Amino acid sequence: MNIFEEDLNDTITFWEKIKNIFRGKSLWMLHYCTGCGAVELPPTMTARFDMERLGMGPMATPRQADVLLITGYLSVKTLRRVIYTYEQMMTPKYLVGFGSCTLNGGIYYDSYAVINRLDYYLPVDLYLAGCMPRPEAIMNTFKTLENMITKGEANGWKKYVENYDWYRNNQIRSLGEVYVKDEFHE
Amino acid sequence: MNFTNDTKELISILEKSLDIKDFTTPKKNEISIVVDQNNVPTILTYLKDKGWKQLSMITCVDWIEENKFELVYVLFNWTNGITFLVKTKIERENPEYISIIDIFPGARYYERDIHEFFGVKFEGNSDSEKPLFLELWDDKPPMRKDFDPLEYSKRKFPDRKYDVELSKNVVKEVIKEGGINERT
Ligand code: SF4
Repeated sequence: MNIFEEDLNDTITFWEKIKNIFRGKSLWMLHYCTGCGAVELPPTMTARFDMERLGMGPMATPRQADVLLITGYLSVKTLRRVIYTYEQMMTPKYLVGFGSCTLNGGIYYDSYAVINRLDYYLPVDLYLAGCMPRPEAIMNTFKTLENMITKGEANGWKKYVENYDWYRNNQIRSLGEVYVKDEFHE
Repeated sequence: MNFTNDTKELISILEKSLDIKDFTTPKKNEISIVVDQNNVPTILTYLKDKGWKQLSMITCVDWIEENKFELVYVLFNWTNGITFLVKTKIERENPEYISIIDIFPGARYYERDIHEFFGVKFEGNSDSEKPLFLELWDDKPPMRKDFDPLEYSKRKFPDRKYDVELSKNVVKEVIKEGGINERT
C-alpha cells in the first residue's frame, strides 16, 4: 500500500490509510435495487461468481451499508427515496452507477419521469457501462472500487458534503421538492 | 366467431335494447362495443350481472385530431373466458366523466390513474384528483399527445454534454492502432 515514511509521523494520515485498507476489504452493499440492471446481482451474489470472495455482502438497512448501487434508470419518484437513503448512510459511503441509464439516460433519455445523469444529483464514485452489465463486469467494478477505496480515491461522500449546495440546487430543479409525500403513511 | 349461444343471445339483446354504435371482435374471445356516454353505467351493470364480474382495467386513448378522449372499460368473464371492451368517447376540452366505483369499487385507482395521465375528472370519485404516481407534477398530463416529453426532459433533467469531435478522434486513434475493425 502507499504508506510512506513521513506518514508514520503524521498519525491522522497514517490511520486514515490503514482504515482505508480495512474499508476496502469489507464492503456491505445496500439491498436496494432501482432498475433492470439489478437482475445481474443475484448471479453475482450466488455460487458461480460469489461476491463474498471480495468481502462483500448484502445488507438490509442504509445505516449499516457502505455501498449504494444504483442499478439502472432512476425515476423521479425513486430518486427522492434514493436521496433519503444516501443521506441516511454513515460515512464513508460509496455510490456506484450501473448501466447506461445512470450515465446519460440510456433508452429513457427523453422520458418525462426518468432522470438523465446520476452524478448531477448524487456523487458517483464509479460508473459501470453496459445495458445491462454482465456479472463479470460487476465483479470487475467491485474489484476496482475496492482498489480505489484502499488508495483513498473514492471520495464521493466528501464531495457531497463540500458541494452540498450545488447538489441540492440540482435536486430541487428536477424534483421541485425533495420531501417524500406518501399517502399510505400519512 | 365461435361464441356460445348464451353470448350470441346477449349480443343480440345488447344490440336491440341499447344504443350500440359499433360491434366488433378484435380478436378471438374478445368483444368490443362502442356505446353512448350515458349508457356506460347501465351496460356495465348489465354485463356484471351476466358474469363479467372482473374489471381488468380502464384505459384512455387520446384522439387528438377528433378532439376526443376514448375511455375503454375492459371486463373479463371467468366462466367463459370472454373479454368485453366497452368504449365511449368524451370531449377533450375540460374532460369530465362519471365514476363507476359504485359498480366496480376497484375502479377507484384506475380513475385516479387516468386523471393523472390524461386529466379526466371523475365525478363521484372523491380520490380522483389525488396524485398517484407523479409526485409534485407541474405540467400538463404527460400521456396527452400534445405533451412533449423530450422538451420536458431537457428542461427538467439536464443531459450529459459530449464533445462529439473529441470522441470521433478517439475512435480514429483506436482504429489506427488496430483496436477495432474499420467498418465500410
Ligand atoms: S442501462 Fe439498460 S439494463 Fe440498465 S437500467 Fe437502463 S435499460 Fe435497464
